[in-house]
Amino acid sequence: MLKVRQIGLAAVAAMAVTLTGCGSSAPQETADLAAEPEYSGTLSILTKFGGEPLESYFSDLASEYMQMHPDVQFELIQETDQSIKDKTKTLTASQALPDIYFTWAGDWAANFVDAGLAADLTPVIEPGTEWGDTFGEASLSAFQYDGKYYAVPLYNNGKFMGYNEKIFTELGIEPPTGFDELISACGTIRDAGYEPIAFGNKDGWPALHYLQQLFAYNVPQDTLQADFDPETATWEDEGYIRSLEQFSTLVTECTGSGADSNGVLYTTAQQALAEGRAAMYYQEILEFDTSAAEGTPLSKDGFGIFPLPVPAGAKGDPGAIEGSPEGYIINARSERAALAADFMEFVTESANASTLSAPPYGQPSAVVGAVTADSSSPSVVKGIEMVNDASSTVIWLDSVTVPDVADAWLAGGEALISGDSTPEEILSSVQAASEASK
Amino acid sequence: MTTNELTRGPVLPAPASGYRSRPAKKRRPGTSRISSLRALVWVLPAVLMLAVFVYLPLAQNFGFSVLEWDIYTGSQSFIGAENYRKMFADPVFWHALANNAWYSVISILFQVCGALVLAALVEGLRHDRWKQIFRVLYFIPSAISLTVAGLLFYFIYEPELGLLNAGLERLGLGDLTQSWLGQENTAIFAIIAMSQWQGFGYCTLLFAVALQRIPSELYEAASIDGVGPVRRFFSVSLPLVREMTGLMMIVTVSGAFQVFNEVMVMTTGGPNNSSQVLGTWLYRSGFVRNDFGYAAAIATAIFFITLSLALLQLWISRKRRVEW
Amino acid sequence: MVKRSTALGVIGSTFVWAFLLALAVVVIYPLLWMTLNGFKTNAELFGNPFALPVELRWENYANAWNRGVGNYLMVSVLVTVTSTIATVFIGAWAAYGLTRIKIPFSRTFLIVILAGLMLAPTVALIPLVRMFQALGLYNTFWALLILYTAFRIPFTVFLIRAYMMDLPVQIDEAAAVDGASRARAFWQIILPMCKPIIVSTVILNILFTWNEYLFAMVFTSGGDFQTLPVGLTNLMAKHGTDYPVVFAGMVMAALPMVVLFIAGQRYFIRGLADGIGK
Repeated sequence: MLKVRQIGLAAVAAMAVTLTGCGSSAPQETADLAAEPEYSGTLSILTKFGGEPLESYFSDLASEYMQMHPDVQFELIQETDQSIKDKTKTLTASQALPDIYFTWAGDWAANFVDAGLAADLTPVIEPGTEWGDTFGEASLSAFQYDGKYYAVPLYNNGKFMGYNEKIFTELGIEPPTGFDELISACGTIRDAGYEPIAFGNKDGWPALHYLQQLFAYNVPQDTLQADFDPETATWEDEGYIRSLEQFSTLVTECTGSGADSNGVLYTTAQQALAEGRAAMYYQEILEFDTSAAEGTPLSKDGFGIFPLPVPAGAKGDPGAIEGSPEGYIINARSERAALAADFMEFVTESANASTLSAPPYGQPSAVVGAVTADSSSPSVVKGIEMVNDASSTVIWLDSVTVPDVADAWLAGGEALISGDSTPEEILSSVQAASEASK
Repeated sequence: MTTNELTRGPVLPAPASGYRSRPAKKRRPGTSRISSLRALVWVLPAVLMLAVFVYLPLAQNFGFSVLEWDIYTGSQSFIGAENYRKMFADPVFWHALANNAWYSVISILFQVCGALVLAALVEGLRHDRWKQIFRVLYFIPSAISLTVAGLLFYFIYEPELGLLNAGLERLGLGDLTQSWLGQENTAIFAIIAMSQWQGFGYCTLLFAVALQRIPSELYEAASIDGVGPVRRFFSVSLPLVREMTGLMMIVTVSGAFQVFNEVMVMTTGGPNNSSQVLGTWLYRSGFVRNDFGYAAAIATAIFFITLSLALLQLWISRKRRVEW
Repeated sequence: MVKRSTALGVIGSTFVWAFLLALAVVVIYPLLWMTLNGFKTNAELFGNPFALPVELRWENYANAWNRGVGNYLMVSVLVTVTSTIATVFIGAWAAYGLTRIKIPFSRTFLIVILAGLMLAPTVALIPLVRMFQALGLYNTFWALLILYTAFRIPFTVFLIRAYMMDLPVQIDEAAAVDGASRARAFWQIILPMCKPIIVSTVILNILFTWNEYLFAMVFTSGGDFQTLPVGLTNLMAKHGTDYPVVFAGMVMAALPMVVLFIAGQRYFIRGLADGIGK
């Protein structure tokens, strides 16, 4: 009898635990980042450096750090560009975010800031502090909300058309300066038996990268910025329709896979450029050293870059470049926030920043002076110069907007490529999604 | 049907066995003199596991489905039937439901009807050795996971390096080549086709086992009467496995409404949500679009669909008890 | 046995054979293609998909192993073995209680357990995420062990119970005469007698756990602790340009189950037969 009652009680207790577990979130204390860290315990980090060749960057630094501080251990969760989104959301929803986690700028980071999941780094990283002064100010302010700084910018990024110099020379093509010129160059390249632009949209976001750059060209800057926030958004500018039409032309005229592109992985496209089968591939600076990795046909043929050419009559900013710094947030609820900050300071030390900016990693560090012609690839140096000189930068469409709007664009991009929706239909679905998320 | 449905049992005769327990009860009167409450120790581990980790979350799900829930802050507020209203107005939800329905229809065609005919063909072979070889061969895809099968077929369908398009080209059917997973009108069917490939062997095996249980005298009687193999199938085999076929259909349909793995691996529901099924739309709503309350509402829909199928199955199995 | 040697019969049986063999090709060829691709270079893969590998590049397999497949394999083995053991013992224990012992509300318990067969795991997903986070079990071995065990108990009880019902009652009576306690009778007499059905449920459980994806994806965080199905999709994402290594990983994930099935097919088929026959 007694036994039964005990078991019954245990069951009730178990249920009580699970029930009370819901909805109660403990008030969190402000982490003291400036405090002298206690060098012990396990530091968990969610990185976007999964896969070759990036994976070893954080693991090498972690082992170096462990040599200096033997009581510190690391748990690295290394995800890829593709997988990190779902993983971050899952971890957030399960309230299992690690001590340090990757973030994009824009709405993406704002969500963590608003929810109190991002430690305020202002005292240690704002311009004027010792650590803060090692970064370019623009990189820091990409993660500035209400005057406070919430992330450690690790590297800058921008999107460029990478091309095979040998194919261009062979066919007498110069990097095009206008959008129409690009389209007509595609014809020449195709006639010569190459795929003009390699493109794989299985994951949906590669299309968004083209679209956002075209939006920046075609839509007046203020309108565009207002449309990113559901409260002020209308998504009515005719520049959006034009951009969708231009992108559709590019897919039809320039890509080998055309309407089939939704079934191709972006890595397959990258591979086509690397192996000299395709003349161009639209990519982030982060991908440069992978595309033209040592030993690839592309590295022998020569790898050049140019910004996506501006369409004639564009009403936005023709000097805009799509891209933004990417950084790491320290979890405000972390018990080891000071240690986390100390580790991130170590990661951004100038020697480590240079390593990050050089092959095989090729991630242009946000630390001033880390990207130099001596250590980094010429294309990375050139790309970062263009980003720095850009008249404005615009953040990725899928991280600057709220999830429902980003998702509507994602679906719309795919529908445009497969030819199942018209630009007008896509825009109205975006308007509906934006309206619903007010 | 898929390997994952091994979870649910080949055929779900829950009540059937419930009724069977009666004669069993009679066989053990008074064998137990142990204090009846202490006897609970036998069932408690299983019942508690289920109560806490299966039934409690199920109940909680209903509660969650009436909340607006911010995944970042964890804050929740009651919004009544709003999530359900939103669900009924959501075109992707209905599209996902339709895809699940397609999944069921095609699976019934191939994994129930097709597998039954196939099992009859295999069992009709003269050599036991070959029967066994075919049964094992056909089953192999069911032993590899849906993840592996999904990745494999991703590559088979790939427009540029894939086996399917290359094969069509070779056969002179170049016109048919396309981006199987990249087109809105083919994506879900390409996934369903993969799933038939993966699952038909499992169903064939089940039917083969059932056919073996038909007493051979019945066949002999039929052959004395000069009945051919086709008519024998329809007049002897089919009636005797009819009840089971009915059950298989329901298990297959119920499985078709729980599809998740292969869609996630092959398209994650794209392009343009065309291959979304209820399971993936639930996942995407919760974990990508940050709307846990809405995801819970979709879960409720899945619950009622699978529950009604299960009840239908109970009703059918209540009627059986006649054969063999 | 039908003995018809008419022309029609010959044509019919030729057709049947052709059909069965063609279907066998449809089943086997993709699997063969997967295995062969695991030996190719990327360039070969992008070339002619029908070509045989130029040489057997075992290093692709070594690479896949080193890039995490080895790790995922260990985790899969660990989770599969422990959850199978837990499920079978809890299931057999309950099945014994339900068939051999007079338990108050035994019918209610039976229904509670067997009704679990009808529930879709997706329905419980969102609350389970919250629950495991609250219990501090999120992203641990325990999360998978508990979930796999809980969701597999109904089917396991169902199979074992059906088998136990057919064991003669005299066995228990004999045991009772010998003065064996209920628990001893279970461990020493009934459980060994149930060996055939236990083997079947073990095989079915292994197949399920090894291949499970939904829980494995949601309840592990993506660190070192991942099972094969989730690990493979990661391998695909992380080494997307190195497809042969992905194929090698797929082969390594599939092979153990294929071998297990072929080795244990007799028991497997018997388990299914028992499941249906009852």
